[in-house]
Amino acid sequence: MVMTATVREDVTRAEPPRSAERRRARRRTYLWSYVYLAPMMVLLLVFVVYPIVASLGYTFYKWDGIGDPSDFVGLDNFRQIVHDSIFWRSLGHTFVYAAFVVPVQLVLALALALVLNNKKLRFASFYRTLFFLPVVTSAAVIGVVIQLLVSNFGDSINDLLMKLHLIDRHIDWLGDPHFALGIIILVGIWHTFGYNLVYFLAGLQTIPEELYEAARLDGAGRFATFRYITIPMLRAVGVVIVILAVIGTFQIFDLVQVLTSGGPFFATEVVNTYIYHLAFGGSNANAVQPDIGLASAASFVYGVLLIAFSVVQVVVLRSLAKRRGTGGIA
Amino acid sequence: MTRRRMVTAMTHVALLVSGLAWLYPLFWALGSSLKSDDDFFTDGLNPMPSHFLWANYLNAWQEASFSRYFMNTILITLGTVVITLVVTSCAGYVLARTRFPGRGFCLGLVSATLFLPHGYTIIPVFDLMQRLHLLNSLWSVIIVQASGGVVFGTFLFMGYFMAVDRELEDAAQVDGANFHQTFARIMLPLSGPMLATVGLFTAITAWNSFFIPLVFTLGRPELRTLAIGMYAFIGENSTEWTLLCAGTVITLAPIILLFVLLQRFFVNGLAGAVKQ
Repeated sequence: MVMTATVREDVTRAEPPRSAERRRARRRTYLWSYVYLAPMMVLLLVFVVYPIVASLGYTFYKWDGIGDPSDFVGLDNFRQIVHDSIFWRSLGHTFVYAAFVVPVQLVLALALALVLNNKKLRFASFYRTLFFLPVVTSAAVIGVVIQLLVSNFGDSINDLLMKLHLIDRHIDWLGDPHFALGIIILVGIWHTFGYNLVYFLAGLQTIPEELYEAARLDGAGRFATFRYITIPMLRAVGVVIVILAVIGTFQIFDLVQVLTSGGPFFATEVVNTYIYHLAFGGSNANAVQPDIGLASAASFVYGVLLIAFSVVQVVVLRSLAKRRGTGGIA
Repeated sequence: MTRRRMVTAMTHVALLVSGLAWLYPLFWALGSSLKSDDDFFTDGLNPMPSHFLWANYLNAWQEASFSRYFMNTILITLGTVVITLVVTSCAGYVLARTRFPGRGFCLGLVSATLFLPHGYTIIPVFDLMQRLHLLNSLWSVIIVQASGGVVFGTFLFMGYFMAVDRELEDAAQVDGANFHQTFARIMLPLSGPMLATVGLFTAITAWNSFFIPLVFTLGRPELRTLAIGMYAFIGENSTEWTLLCAGTVITLAPIILLFVLLQRFFVNGLAGAVKQ
């Protein structure tokens, strides 16, 4: 319908409209463009851009969040953050979390993606759904379930592991500072694994089938095909996957807050729970007074560290991909 | 031939067993939600209930305020999805299809915020909501969550509309359709798959979100969402395990169902985001 109309009406359109009329039409387009764009820009400016600027302002005040900030303290908040050993420990925990979660997830996800990418494998999308489901379950709920499992049946797990001679004493999984972060890492790996699986599957599907056929004709074995076709062809997508995985792990909050709230004795405090406890009061071992200025300073320092880290990461990964890459690299 | 069939069968067994084991915590919660307190302790890690007990669901729904949490979550999710879809489809459309002064600036701003780390600005947003007198309402959660997703949605819609054939739009305009008619009658109906993708993404994020509703309902228990309700419940009544498991199922079931029905759109959206 529409297409036939195009052909017929194009003839009339060929006559040049009068320029005043055209100008009016263009102005109308401008106007409506702004109207269509305005809601998005307002939300963006008010709730994304302004807060970044405003939180910088709070960092110069000692402020508990009630009324207007008035107690100007200069750079004191930054000084306090930099000298707070708990800030550095929580930064350390965040890095440890990322250092374990990202590589384990990526290796497992790539392995499973290679299995599921086989076109002759039936029910592949069913299996993908099974492994993806934790992604759509909320971290808070996962935290509750794991806490229930561990606090009620941690002993059964202990007995099982002792019978298998994997451990020689009972472990208080979430209460022992040595193990709590480990549990959070395991749950973290499980929770967001599906993202990496789907990303790798998408990446694998961009590799042309002909390449594999050519390799087969050349007599390449399975490992050689993986090493000389899959890996190089995945490099571009791989860079994006790594970056997304790292950014994701640095945002860790929900799981920690629900499972341990940063405890015991700050053993699992990550930067986001640390900031939350500063800003909204501690539910942790020590009851801290809300200190918005301090929390904003911590957020700001962490934000700058993260931006610096992402820039370095992007540069390093891109150059690695370029130097060694043979396939089409962005 | 038979050897290959053996390998295939083994692969299926391995995938099925590991896939079901992968979901063990969810099965365990589902099973436990149907047990009596006694059975819960004697059964231990065995998820299978010996007989089915529905009372936990009734108690969670009626006495533990899960009906209220459920309604709050539904309202927040719906509100966030509707606002996000309206705002991002309009913005994506004009950024993709019209030229106007200031377009470059808007695009630059949108791209810049895509790379800024989010989630460290909750305090000024909280302060802002306080000043707008929106703090103690579901609107604060809806608006903050929607604004968190506008950049991503706008980019997806922009990419989608850019790929649409120009002729369709020209034809509509020649037929006398104005700006709105072109968008509403031609472009928007074409973007069905993208509406589904962005909508589902937003719905899952909004339903599961924890940090934003936690902060914005700190002083108002009656505004809690399911996730926050669960979290608060474990702190307040930490012994009603089976009821808590029923709460888990109430929280997870709707969103898992939605995902399973529409997962094609979700997975395609994710895949598109990495490949771009």
